[in-house]
Amino acid sequence: MEKVLEVKGLSKQYAKVLAADKVSFDISPGEIFALIGPNGAGKTTTIRMISTLLTPTDGDAIVAGYSIKKDPAKVRESITYLPDEAGAYKTMTGIGYLKFMAGLFTSDPKQMNEYIERAKSINGLGERLNDKIGSYSRGMIRKLLLSRAVMNRPKLAILDEPTSGLDVLNAIEIRKTIKRLAAEEKMSFLLSSHNMLEIEFVSDRVGIIAKGHLLVTGATAELKERYNAENLEEVFERVVKDNEIL
Amino acid sequence: MKFFNLLQKELKELINAQMIMGFVLVMVLFFVLSSVMTDTISEAVKQEYNITISDQDDTEFTRNMLSELEKDGNHIRRIDTEGDDYAAFLKDNDLKGLVIIPKGFTESIESSDKPEIISIISMKSASMMSNLNTENSGTIEVLRKYISDSYSENLGISDDDIEFMEKPVTITEKTVVNDRWADVSASSVTGRIMLQSAILPIIIFILIIMTSQMLVNAIATEKIDKTLETLLSAPVSRTAIIGAKMLAAAIVAMLQAVVYTVGFSTLMAKSMFSVSGDMMSNMETMSDEVTNAMSEATGSLMSVSEGMTRLGLSLSIADYLLVGVQLFLTILICLSVSIMLGALVNDSKSSQTIMLPLMMAAMIPYFISLFADVNSMPMALRVLIYAIPFTHTFTAMPNLMFGHNGVFWFGIIYQLLFFLVCMFFALKLFNSDKILTVSLNFGQKSKLRKNQKQYTDE
Ligand SMILES: Nc1ncnc2c1ncn2[C@@H]1O[C@H](COP(=O)(O)OP(=O)(O)O)[C@@H](O)[C@H]1O
Ligand SMILES: [Mg+2]
Repeated sequence: MEKVLEVKGLSKQYAKVLAADKVSFDISPGEIFALIGPNGAGKTTTIRMISTLLTPTDGDAIVAGYSIKKDPAKVRESITYLPDEAGAYKTMTGIGYLKFMAGLFTSDPKQMNEYIERAKSINGLGERLNDKIGSYSRGMIRKLLLSRAVMNRPKLAILDEPTSGLDVLNAIEIRKTIKRLAAEEKMSFLLSSHNMLEIEFVSDRVGIIAKGHLLVTGATAELKERYNAENLEEVFERVVKDNEIL
Repeated sequence: MKFFNLLQKELKELINAQMIMGFVLVMVLFFVLSSVMTDTISEAVKQEYNITISDQDDTEFTRNMLSELEKDGNHIRRIDTEGDDYAAFLKDNDLKGLVIIPKGFTESIESSDKPEIISIISMKSASMMSNLNTENSGTIEVLRKYISDSYSENLGISDDDIEFMEKPVTITEKTVVNDRWADVSASSVTGRIMLQSAILPIIIFILIIMTSQMLVNAIATEKIDKTLETLLSAPVSRTAIIGAKMLAAAIVAMLQAVVYTVGFSTLMAKSMFSVSGDMMSNMETMSDEVTNAMSEATGSLMSVSEGMTRLGLSLSIADYLLVGVQLFLTILICLSVSIMLGALVNDSKSSQTIMLPLMMAAMIPYFISLFADVNSMPMALRVLIYAIPFTHTFTAMPNLMFGHNGVFWFGIIYQLLFFLVCMFFALKLFNSDKILTVSLNFGQKSKLRKNQKQYTDE
């Protein structure tokens, strides 16, 4: 089947740092792919380039057949992006926020309603949706934002650190939702996380990134076997040692 | 449709409790300011009539003098004082000014010595308004007139002779503006213009600051909450995103402009009616009456507003429209600059700091327009001040009034160009990834460094 995302030698040079160095990987439909690596590894930079927010200094990425360089507007129609540690408009109500965001993706009122209903059923916030977002807890905001990111069934949902800063129960709920949407609705996800233990439970395949280099990609089980490791953290440790990165 | 969605959201964000609070605060400020002005001025006017005199001499002559004054319609309050503890006199009687006729006054007159009158004024501040209260000159002039009358009687000199001696020449004041002239004194015209156009600069100043702060905050909050990234990755054009933000801020600003102008001019009109009706005529008749009473030159003076129309100093509807256009351009400049400034902010603290340049750009021409005439400054300074685009907004009304049309139109064109250039860069900023990567951190720990710190901690 055709890939949802093909990343080809994507690089980003900031004034001083080379934050991404020829990063390449791909994602198939219905797959959950996670970029894992410590803080400052270049995950957000890579993700922002794919989300058309940053212009790559080299390389390209093809999202649902469109180049992020040549056709960024088309790419934006195929993706949704949930920034790392994102907030929402505090003075809006949850439902107001969903309406506003739905209005950015479609101008058809019927479709807008469908999106909102779907988001409601996914986030499970119920009556609290009528309250101002300013009164929400972190976990509630994350659930609201996640439901918004998947309400229009994008070809690729890009979630930067979707569980960071959440307590265990909320994190589990978010992970379950992502897994269910991929399994039942064949949605594709690009995630990132600096928590390598946790990501094992969600992702089908992972890419290990450090200092801007994508070192290896592969299915979780396969990587553990290849590096003779108990978990992804150990895999990371060995990969980094092998590549003499740190 | 999507643009409408964006605009609606921006408007809802801007019209919040905080904005309404600011709105109310400004109105209260206006109200207090104008009623303070009204009060001090009308009090001053009242005070002029209320003469407080302490007659330490207390002779037949002084008693006669005072009762004559009362017959002329002056309200005289008499108090008893003794010695020379002047501060205590004012304090004990709760006075701002006092005239003392000291012991030996009548004697001096009878022996044809020059008699003495003591005028005491309490000075509480150097402010113009507060010193209006404490003018004793009216009282003294009236006394002087009475005394010279009695001298002339004593010495057998006619009133005409005295008048001629005191004022050997009659001064008729005329004011010239460009090629027109009128029978009004320049000082009374200045007074009227100051009162009239005190409104506009304050409104312009508040508008510039509030509009900019509004938009800078709107963008800064979106950056900090990362809702901006979400917006920028959504399938809407970035021009629509900025457009909606600017339009919403412009609508709110214009709304404020209209409310402030209407509100403030009603307040001013009210105080003008009660004060200027009184004050303008009084200030004039008072000082003129008092100083010119003997010269009889008053008759030829025309009213100030009549004079101003004659001088071409009143603005036509077209002029007001032009001032409105300029105000709109000013707001557009604020918006385009604020968009760029907002993009530089990465935390809530710097959103205050970043306002500083804009604040200065509004403050400098505001104060200069209050205290000086830019057009008569040395060339280099004038160029420098007119390079600040907001200066043209503050000088628009006086420039139109005094027929400096060239400077006015230059200002409009300059502001238009300035806006277009700023807008060009603002759009460029939003259409590149600079909007997310530029930042000023003002020496604070940047987010990036914090990230790296965490990295080494783990
Ligand atoms: N706007 C920027 N300007 C300069 N350097 C940046 C910027 N954003 C990130 N970096 C640097 O790029 C590197 C990668 O950062 P990032 O992509 O945020 O990492 P991660 O998301 O994996 O934590 C870091 O060294 C960071 O300091
Ligand atoms: Mg990151």
